[in-house]
Amino acid sequence: MKAKNQRLVLTLAALGALVAAALLAMSALRNQASFFYSPADALRDHVRPGQAIRLGGMVEKGSLVREPDGVTIDFRVTDGAASVAARYTGIVPDLFREGSGVVAEGRFVAPGTFVADTILAKHDEKYMPPQIAGSMHETKSLKP
Amino acid sequence: MHAFANPTRFLSLARPLTGWLGWAGAVLALVGIIAGLTLTPRDYLQGETVRIMYIHVPAAWLGMAGWGGIAAASVAELVWRHPLAAIAARATAVPGAVFAAICLASGSIWGRPTWGTWWEWDGRLTSMLVLFFLYIAYIALADASADRGGGARVAAIFGLVGAINLPIIHFSVLWWRTLHQGQSIGFTGSTIAPSILWPLPLTTIGFTLLFTAIILMRMRMLLANAKLEARQRRMGGAA
Amino acid sequence: MNPWLFVVAAYAVACLGTLGLTLASLVAMRRAERAAESLKRR
Repeated sequence: MKAKNQRLVLTLAALGALVAAALLAMSALRNQASFFYSPADALRDHVRPGQAIRLGGMVEKGSLVREPDGVTIDFRVTDGAASVAARYTGIVPDLFREGSGVVAEGRFVAPGTFVADTILAKHDEKYMPPQIAGSMHETKSLKP
Repeated sequence: MHAFANPTRFLSLARPLTGWLGWAGAVLALVGIIAGLTLTPRDYLQGETVRIMYIHVPAAWLGMAGWGGIAAASVAELVWRHPLAAIAARATAVPGAVFAAICLASGSIWGRPTWGTWWEWDGRLTSMLVLFFLYIAYIALADASADRGGGARVAAIFGLVGAINLPIIHFSVLWWRTLHQGQSIGFTGSTIAPSILWPLPLTTIGFTLLFTAIILMRMRMLLANAKLEARQRRMGGAA
Repeated sequence: MNPWLFVVAAYAVACLGTLGLTLASLVAMRRAERAAESLKRR
């Protein structure tokens, strides 16, 4: 075999081994590398109350309630399969609204009840001008 | 002589191409930026900050494409010992790092009003930051091996190994739950309304042409420096 | 929070970064090629 071909085979073999190793590592990391729990995962994995986690999903439509104190909100986080009641005190991002994605950092105080310290709004991959979105997204925002 | 035959042919092509690509890219990118800042509507959720996409997406693409180029050149260097391959790989490192940094910075500036945070350690953001650090390490490694000479193969192997991060960046939003949204533009279509989308190809193609011109400039610089060093060494030996 | 503040900041970072990189590369190339050229003539 010519030296050039030998180097080609060697490089390709090394590359193949590298890709295989990386894919293995990535699939092993699959759960650890997730940024948040979905409600169904959190219930299935029996996340301990008090354990700091992130809970992500959609803010269930019609679930958003502002408490009389004006800064505390109650809402439900859903992933379609399960839903969890959540409570948060503080200022939420502009994009936090019913029917939109949310990632809440906090802990379960009881199974199915979550208290958040931080609220992040999660944007989805759909971008459209307000005129098109129009009636489709007539969801109530938190802006007073 | 074989080593010089290729660069000569390359230079006769690169010299006119540098200006053409540079100007065409600058004009296209500028048109896209102006259109993206003035002509397109705002997004129904993000509002005006959606306009950051027109620079964020090209920067992300070039940050990743840059390392793709380094990896391809590294293969050419390791397998065929092509004399221009090492030059091309070294010329791509700094521009790639700059665009990866622009991607991270513009994404962070978008994240604050959209997500409510400058930075989170999710899969997409972390793997992109890793790419930036890989560039820094590659630049240091290529500089060190160029100084000592002959050690260029270490940089090539590193360029090849680092390419494994590219699919991780791309698929991070599919494999893992991330704060970063999923892919908007695929082979089958896009989930971005056409009225918002249209300047994006302009800035993407524009910045890509400009990126190519910058790489050509840096390759010409490295070739001229190599020529200079070779001549100085020969004159030093004669004296 | 004014969204335009963020838009302008992001565009400033991108444009200044690209411009700086382009000019630096151009100047470095010119200098190197001129040095190589002048050495040839000597």
